[in-house]
Amino acid sequence: MFTLIISALFIISVTGLLIILTTKNDKLKTLQLSVNKLKRSLDEMDEQAKLIIRTDIELNKTQEELDKKINGLYALQRLSRAISTTLEENQIFRMIDSSNIDELGFEKTISFLWSERDKRFILTFNIGYSQDEEDLIQASIDLNKDFYLNLIHQKKTLSSNSLADQSFKNKIKSIFRVASFVISPILPKEGRVGFIFLGTENPDMAPSEGDEELVTILANQIGQALENAKLFEKTWKAQQELEKKVEERTQELKHALNEVNIVSKRKSEFISAVSHELRTPLTSIKGYASILLAGKLGELPEEVRLRLDKINKHSDELVNLVNDLLDISRIESGRVTMRLESQNLRAIFTDITDLFFVQFKEKGIELSSKIDDNASDVTADAGQLKRVFINLVSNAAKFVPLKDGKIKVSAYKVGKFIQVDITDNGCGIPEDARERIFEEFYRVENAINDQVKGTGLGLALVKHIIEAHGGRIWVTSKLGVGSTFSFTLPTER
Amino acid sequence: MSDTDNINVGIGLSTEKDIGKAVKEAMQQARTTIYKEAIDLALVFSSTEYASPHTTSLISNLIGSAPVIGCSGAAIISNKGIFRSALGLMLLSFPKTVFLNSAHIQNIHSKTALTSGEELGEKLLHGFKGGRRDFGLFFTDGLIEEESNLILGLQEKLGTSFPIIGASASDNLKFEKTYTYYNQDISNDSACGIIWGGKLNFGWGIKHGWKPLGKPRTITKSKSNVVYEIDGLPATKIYEEYFSRNIEGLRKELKRISTFYPIGIYLRDEEEYLLRNIHLIENSGALVFQGNVPEGSEVRLMIGTKESCLNATEQACEQAKNWLPGKNLSFALVFDSISRYLLLGRRAIKEIEIINTELNNIPILGLYTYGEQAPLKATNYQGRAHNHNQTITILGVEG
Repeated sequence: MFTLIISALFIISVTGLLIILTTKNDKLKTLQLSVNKLKRSLDEMDEQAKLIIRTDIELNKTQEELDKKINGLYALQRLSRAISTTLEENQIFRMIDSSNIDELGFEKTISFLWSERDKRFILTFNIGYSQDEEDLIQASIDLNKDFYLNLIHQKKTLSSNSLADQSFKNKIKSIFRVASFVISPILPKEGRVGFIFLGTENPDMAPSEGDEELVTILANQIGQALENAKLFEKTWKAQQELEKKVEERTQELKHALNEVNIVSKRKSEFISAVSHELRTPLTSIKGYASILLAGKLGELPEEVRLRLDKINKHSDELVNLVNDLLDISRIESGRVTMRLESQNLRAIFTDITDLFFVQFKEKGIELSSKIDDNASDVTADAGQLKRVFINLVSNAAKFVPLKDGKIKVSAYKVGKFIQVDITDNGCGIPEDARERIFEEFYRVENAINDQVKGTGLGLALVKHIIEAHGGRIWVTSKLGVGSTFSFTLPTER
Repeated sequence: MSDTDNINVGIGLSTEKDIGKAVKEAMQQARTTIYKEAIDLALVFSSTEYASPHTTSLISNLIGSAPVIGCSGAAIISNKGIFRSALGLMLLSFPKTVFLNSAHIQNIHSKTALTSGEELGEKLLHGFKGGRRDFGLFFTDGLIEEESNLILGLQEKLGTSFPIIGASASDNLKFEKTYTYYNQDISNDSACGIIWGGKLNFGWGIKHGWKPLGKPRTITKSKSNVVYEIDGLPATKIYEEYFSRNIEGLRKELKRISTFYPIGIYLRDEEEYLLRNIHLIENSGALVFQGNVPEGSEVRLMIGTKESCLNATEQACEQAKNWLPGKNLSFALVFDSISRYLLLGRRAIKEIEIINTELNNIPILGLYTYGEQAPLKATNYQGRAHNHNQTITILGVEG
């Protein structure tokens, strides 16, 4: 019985164990499957990683190349800007600094310009070379100057990639102590030609075609800047010479003006003296003529009276001429001071109208005015201003047609000035005479002037008076239509 | 040290070609922003054109007895941007409560990197009388082999109770000669450092932004920084497979492959993989990395994009700030891997803009490096500093 129980228990245990083992085995199988699956996934992931890495390294390379290009372009832009704003040859090369060269992908640069006088290349600047290295390079360039002259002649950029002569390429690498390089000619239209060398010791930084292009652009920019500097130097020298000549001529003119002033002063003094001397005997002549005409020394025969009348009339004309001359002389020499006070143009015009009333009525001349309300007050010397009006109005009256003459005075404000226009419907002034009529003793040649006597001093005197007030005078005219004399006067002192 | 409680900082940067003029200009700029006369430390980062004893002796003469320490870089970083040819100077004046000691070692090549690190550690400890040590800053020639062992040796002596942050000097991408500056000396094959103690509050962030790609691999044979086999196959096989190039093809593009596709070592509990650039490909198929790759490590091929790189910069700034919540940083040092500069290309300046924005335009000075040293998990300090590639490391100091 006991054995039976033991056996049964054994069978149950074995069966249980078998069941457990079978279950475990199934689990193991499942686990193994999972492990295999994981392993396969890992392997697949690893293969994907390889693809990612291979793509990534290519992307990085492209990115590096792109970065290099962009940096190079930026550096070139900065260099170009700095170089192009420089107008001194020495300064142009000082603008090239190591950081910009570095961004172009090089660490070393050296440049030479050809000296026609010395028949050799002269160093202009270098970055990254010691004095000893500089000397060594200079010696090598002296020896091989034909190569560099040929490079300039051919206007061609060369690099360690494009230079065919292997032994010369290696020689350059050794002398310039670089692993790769670009040489580009500097070709200004004016001034010295030369070349710029850029190199790197880094064997991984071999220059591409793009680098050659960048260096060519840089060399062209330097060439352009050298050309500008040369032109600037020329222009500057020309300007200096011009300034010197202008200075000399100014001195000459100053001297001449001084002499003219002295002569003018002497002329004024002479006129003044002569006028004074003339006025005294004229006064006597006029006085005696008046006594005779008054019959104080007995009745005069008609013939004598007629002659005496003429003496009297001509004496008056001579006195007027002398007075005008004296006035011009005084104004020119500054001996007459304008008594500037506020004047009313309307009141002055009324006085002028009264003065000419009888004369104009006889001749049938119409004198009218249009004075704006804001233009009636001017700052002027009353006596002198009246002389201006009298001169200009009487001058106009000479030339207007008989019985149908029209003279119009108008005044209006122009900025800080009052402009007065005296317009007539006279015969007009020829164009070539319009400037000259304000000159002393100038008279327009025409029929009226031939008949009407005048001194040729009236308009000159008017011009002097207006200018002494700080104004100006001019004339506009149309032949057969009429003339307008315009002058300005300041509103304030 | 000054009686006042604040750290005083002045930064100058010059691109003058003449060393004398450059030192003068940088010094003048730094002096205009530091109002204290007494200087306690001068940090100097420069491109290799300025790596001359003339530079260090001029600076030393101008600041008196304060230590001058720094290294060469492929480019210098300041708030104003990135300068391929420049001299950067940071003048520092500390409160009385801050102590420091500086030291340097030379001729690393004639010893081992490990013993050289130990020697530097001993020298730093020997002269340090400030009690508790809080922080170490460290610069090394960027072309020495086994840099990881150098920092290992240094921490053997200094311990791992305080963080050490450092930079491996670089040159103008020629990988020929890099320099460290120590007082009036400049030298290759050397390292220098400072340790601080007292009330110095600081925070740092380190991030790279590279992501793993492909299946995990195991380093089956390696010694220090040389990996012989990966998954039982010659180490180059993994790169040959991924890039579909033979050894010669890989060598031709080594700089690009090494920069853009480093390997990442998986570290348990760390947020990021520890990156390693390939330095050399040996004919045997072994890969020589810039930093140790322990045997048995799980590694992945890594890939970075400009976006992930810039996100990492932002995160590194955040990490640095998180150390000092609610406090204002007075200045920051930036050690940025040259690989990032190459990857970002024209967008490299974006990193500086991010740092300026994230750190509220505090004065910054830094350089592009061939390696960065810092504890990896910045938010959960573990003590051990690692030698990194591809990272941006930001050290912010409050004061």
